[in-house]
Amino acid sequence: MRIGTNWFKSLALVVGVGVLLAGCGSGGQQTSGNGGASGGSGDKVYVVGTDAAYPPFQMLEADKISGHDIDVMNAIAEAGGFKIEWKNTGWDPLFDGLDKGTVDIGISSITITEKRKEKYDFSDSYFEANQLILVAEDSPVTKLADLKGKKIGVQAATTGEEVVKKAFGDTYEGLKGYDDMPSSVDDFFNGRVEAVVGDNGVLSYYVNKVKDKKFKLIKDDSFEKEFYGIIVKKGNTDAMNKINDGLKKIKENGKLQEIYTQYFGNK
Amino acid sequence: MDWSVIYDYRELFIRGIINTILLTAVATVCGTFLGLFISLGKMSSKRILRWTCSIYVELFRGTPMLVQILLIHFAVIPSIWGILYPGASSPEAIYSGFVALSLNAAAYMAEIFRAGIQSIDPGQMEAARSLGMNKGLAMRQIILPQAFTRMLPAIGNEFIALLKDSSLLAVIATPELNYAAMNVAKSTFERYPPYLTEAAVYLVLTLFLSRVVVRGLEKKYSTR
Repeated sequence: MRIGTNWFKSLALVVGVGVLLAGCGSGGQQTSGNGGASGGSGDKVYVVGTDAAYPPFQMLEADKISGHDIDVMNAIAEAGGFKIEWKNTGWDPLFDGLDKGTVDIGISSITITEKRKEKYDFSDSYFEANQLILVAEDSPVTKLADLKGKKIGVQAATTGEEVVKKAFGDTYEGLKGYDDMPSSVDDFFNGRVEAVVGDNGVLSYYVNKVKDKKFKLIKDDSFEKEFYGIIVKKGNTDAMNKINDGLKKIKENGKLQEIYTQYFGNK
Repeated sequence: MDWSVIYDYRELFIRGIINTILLTAVATVCGTFLGLFISLGKMSSKRILRWTCSIYVELFRGTPMLVQILLIHFAVIPSIWGILYPGASSPEAIYSGFVALSLNAAAYMAEIFRAGIQSIDPGQMEAARSLGMNKGLAMRQIILPQAFTRMLPAIGNEFIALLKDSSLLAVIATPELNYAAMNVAKSTFERYPPYLTEAAVYLVLTLFLSRVVVRGLEKKYSTR
């Protein structure tokens, strides 16, 4: 019996150490692989991560990722002369993927913020956004402050959530952070939240799809203008230079504007 | 790793814990009662009742709970509300949570009850009937008390599963514990502190359920 227990203990130890070593080994390999590729040939295929649940910026059509940001990134890669491979990671795993090196580039309507700049490097901006408030047509609300005490839907961890937290506190009870924008808009039309705060592009796109419902979009001038940027892991200047180079080219040759018009019309 | 985010967001966590407990408690009670009737329905001599209850159990056992939650929250409840109270707001996410968890628990509880009841020797029912009890009285006074003792471990399992499954409600922004942790993780970029805290709280809650509540009940209803 005693021998049996010891046997089991040593077995557990061996397995445990083995797993740990294997983990370290693969981790190390990955990093060195990345280093080699970025240092040498221009043939590296950059893995671009996105959260394809934010139409019209990035969405899934059938099983293909499409949308404004997708077109922009493809155009940048073409102009900048590098190869990319798309990966629909989802929002949170996108950032984790960048941290761990499984994703090289992230484009997903990511607003350039100081907080995010601490952890990631941003490209120049490719889109100018501002926050809008979605409320019922007959709502007396005219600015964010009027929403005090009301239930507000946002997509969790977006700038929309940030402005609400800034106004009403980090743990504001009425704040409902949904996994995605469609869910929060759904629950707005179901009457579960009285307002939705989110980026102009996405909100206008959605609410225009449900034309029979009564609503209005309010612009609060206290909201700062926001700029979407493409992110890479901090210090990945090689990829960043290529992105900024490509972005500059498509800004100059009018391609970026062309894509904008295609999705949002002339404005 | 910055553990101070837990303190900064303590309100969110406390609210989450309270709601998680509330959700589990309500779903346990409703699920148990509903489950009992469904199990009796499944054993009924009326074919329609038997089939309806069987279909119910298969539907809720055979589809992912996450799908049930989404369906109930975004489709079923708004539709029902739209018909009953046109123009009114649908109830908040936590009510969808009560409904989804209770209905799901009922399906599993029904099977636990059926197994428990059928494990009692048919002679018990026959003896009770021959003493002049009607079927309902015999079920309540003779069969169920005996079956309940045998079912307790399985019921305890179901409580714990329910408590853990309530974490799925985060997708519909129900302010429960997992929602709190996910929210903190997303907005602070801290991963270990919120998720480890959450895991620890779930562990404490399930341990309390299994060691104190279920074991206490087992002791109380022990026939030995």
